Amino acid sequence: MADDLVFTTVFELFVAVGGTVVTTVLALFYLRRVRLERPAVGVFNGRDIAVLLCVLALLPTLYVVLAHWALTTFLAITFMASLSIGYRPVVRNQGLLWAGIGLLLGANIWMARTMLGTVLGWQLYWVETSVIVVLGACAVANLYVQGGMRLKHVARFALLLAVYDLVFTAVTPLTNELAQDFLGYPLDPSFGFRLGLFNATLGLGDLLIYSLFVAAAFKAYGRSAARFAMVVVVVFGAVIPATAPLLINFIDARADVVVPAQTFFGPGAFAAYLWLRHRYGRERTMKEFLASDDVVHAVVAATPAVAVEPVPAAPAAASAAIVD
Amino acid sequence: MFETGIRQLRLALGMVGGKRLNTRNLARLVGDALATLQEFGEPGADVQQLVDGPFADPEARDHLATRGIQRTAARLAQQSPFYQRRFAAAGITPGKLKLDELGAIPVTVKSELVERPAEFRCADTEVHLTTRTTGTTGKPAEVWLSKYEIDLWAGLGALSAVLRDELRPTDIMQVHSSSRATAAVHLDVGSCRLAGAGCRVLGIVPPDSALDGLTAGGATIMATYPSYLAELVVAARRRGLGPDDFPLRRIQVGGEVLSPSLKKAAYAQFGVESISDSFGMTEVIPVTARTCGQGHLHHDINTGYVEYLDLDTGEPARPGALATVVITPFFPYRDCMPVFRYDTRDVVRLLPDEPLTCEVSALPACGPLLGKADHLLRAGGEVVTGRQLTEAVEALPSEPWPGRYRASVHGGRLRLALPTSAVAGLSEADARAHFAAHGLDVAELTLVPDSEAVGLRPLRTDLHELTFAAGA
Repeated sequence: MADDLVFTTVFELFVAVGGTVVTTVLALFYLRRVRLERPAVGVFNGRDIAVLLCVLALLPTLYVVLAHWALTTFLAITFMASLSIGYRPVVRNQGLLWAGIGLLLGANIWMARTMLGTVLGWQLYWVETSVIVVLGACAVANLYVQGGMRLKHVARFALLLAVYDLVFTAVTPLTNELAQDFLGYPLDPSFGFRLGLFNATLGLGDLLIYSLFVAAAFKAYGRSAARFAMVVVVVFGAVIPATAPLLINFIDARADVVVPAQTFFGPGAFAAYLWLRHRYGRERTMKEFLASDDVVHAVVAATPAVAVEPVPAAPAAASAAIVD
Repeated sequence: MFETGIRQLRLALGMVGGKRLNTRNLARLVGDALATLQEFGEPGADVQQLVDGPFADPEARDHLATRGIQRTAARLAQQSPFYQRRFAAAGITPGKLKLDELGAIPVTVKSELVERPAEFRCADTEVHLTTRTTGTTGKPAEVWLSKYEIDLWAGLGALSAVLRDELRPTDIMQVHSSSRATAAVHLDVGSCRLAGAGCRVLGIVPPDSALDGLTAGGATIMATYPSYLAELVVAARRRGLGPDDFPLRRIQVGGEVLSPSLKKAAYAQFGVESISDSFGMTEVIPVTARTCGQGHLHHDINTGYVEYLDLDTGEPARPGALATVVITPFFPYRDCMPVFRYDTRDVVRLLPDEPLTCEVSALPACGPLLGKADHLLRAGGEVVTGRQLTEAVEALPSEPWPGRYRASVHGGRLRLALPTSAVAGLSEADARAHFAAHGLDVAELTLVPDSEAVGLRPLRTDLHELTFAAGA
């Protein structure tokens, strides 16, 4: 049992660090080069964090309650939305983009239904799932950061998630239930891999908050801050949670490791934010970021946006001299 | 971002539902727009569609107009004594009215509004503020406004101005319009308040007082009439002030003809980035119009329906013809004393039936305002418009700004009276040649002493307001 614990811990460490580094580096690469379309009016603010938290609190319950076919449909729509929005500026040919998304999601559903009888099948399934999850996390992180989400927002969000994750892992074991419930089903929202009998995974939500933290730090303060944020993410988001089972027995009967990663990451991220703010001061706006040399200026131009929000009209001139 | 989307949705649902809009929600949207500009430096890519509406498609345009007309007519039939009678007499069903049936309803004219204002007031509204037309074209009309519509116009105006970068939190707007034009003043003040900009309302004060505000006072935007702008250009020249003395970035004028020569002089004198020439009218606010880079006049068809009717037949005018502009502001944009098919008597020439290529080509357009229909002259078989005369007079080498003249037709020929100084340095033949070059065959040119110039033609700059400082 002890050998298993060491093995699963090391295995989890590799998966967690690998997933974290790949996703955050890809998110940074994207942030430097690709501009996402944004609505005419709207910038991410503190109240949006509350909205996100509410959604986050409700989603897992929905996951548990929904029938598997409904859950798969829901996840497919969610991934389609994030991938199509995120990669529309990258893949200019819309037919190709949708074909690619269809292929990715379709292959995942097919693999989950037909290939999980062998370890190799599991491994292929996890590689394919992880590609979808990494691309999705990268796209959504950029959607928020390029939409004006600041490091301040991410740090507060991470702190709230720390409490949330602790409650739903240790007090009400919803996270554990989810990890078990998703295992082997299509479009599992996790980055993972399998060795022998052991599956090691890192949730999409975790990868999203890590990408947000690094991308927001880069946007706010530049390269040095991004490097610092990357260290914080790897240490508090991957290394400590992955090695925690050696100290805290969070291993269930199937040896699938479920650790409240955000409970470790949240306080670390918030403290890191406070230090960065103390060192660098005010965060850069998106306008200032785009004007800096942190951006690769030969960006991929965004294609025309989806239909605009149904918003009302406004008079032509605010203060025209109104006369008879 | 999420809450901005919800606010936009609330506003859109209010519009679709045809109910009064939540003005607090609108004010918060202005705040969202300001936050967007602060973060990104500019609004998102869809901003043009946001402020101008999705009107490139004529079918969508007609659909929206039909719904607006039906909604507005249905309300007026219930709430407005004047239109209850008018619709009943026309035999129409307000809630099912089609655009091609509008001709059955007689246009509303200013005299009706002046003589029976109480009959226009809707029963389901509370009056808040009265505003008056300036009366330069006859007896002034008094129009009551509700608090709702004042708040609404300020919100819509501020949102539009912020998104178009016409109003910034760092701006100070200096307003020179008649103090009786309370709607315009409230709109300026309210828009500035929502946008976080400063607002200095001075009225038609002595030009030197205005120039003090434009220089040391730090005004960055000025809203006024073309005739007052002319006085300011002249006064600034007299004081030796130039572009470097003015922090102005925009001038917005309306209500009178802005001639190209005056516009060019104002650009040079004040060093501004833009001078916008817009249309607004107390009776039909918030339906306004703005002039594009190609000189077209684009009415805002988000908030009302605009018809161009032939001056002689009253039927829809053909491309290239002169027309009077008839406007119906939609509910819920007009609340307390709405008008339906209001004949502004403003004359425009319709554009050729060709696709537009200007920067606001998604909005329909007509030619610039040419003057009031009742002031058109017919000389030698040609129509002479107020714009033609103003542009010709203000283009004289003496730069007689604001242009003063009196034009009349006798025996089919044009007579023109000008102040003596307007043609200083020109022989009569030179003066005639000047007007001929502007398409005016002046048969008789009369000169009057400069002291009598003001009596030739009333202008809004004549609505002087005294100050103790100026009198001292």
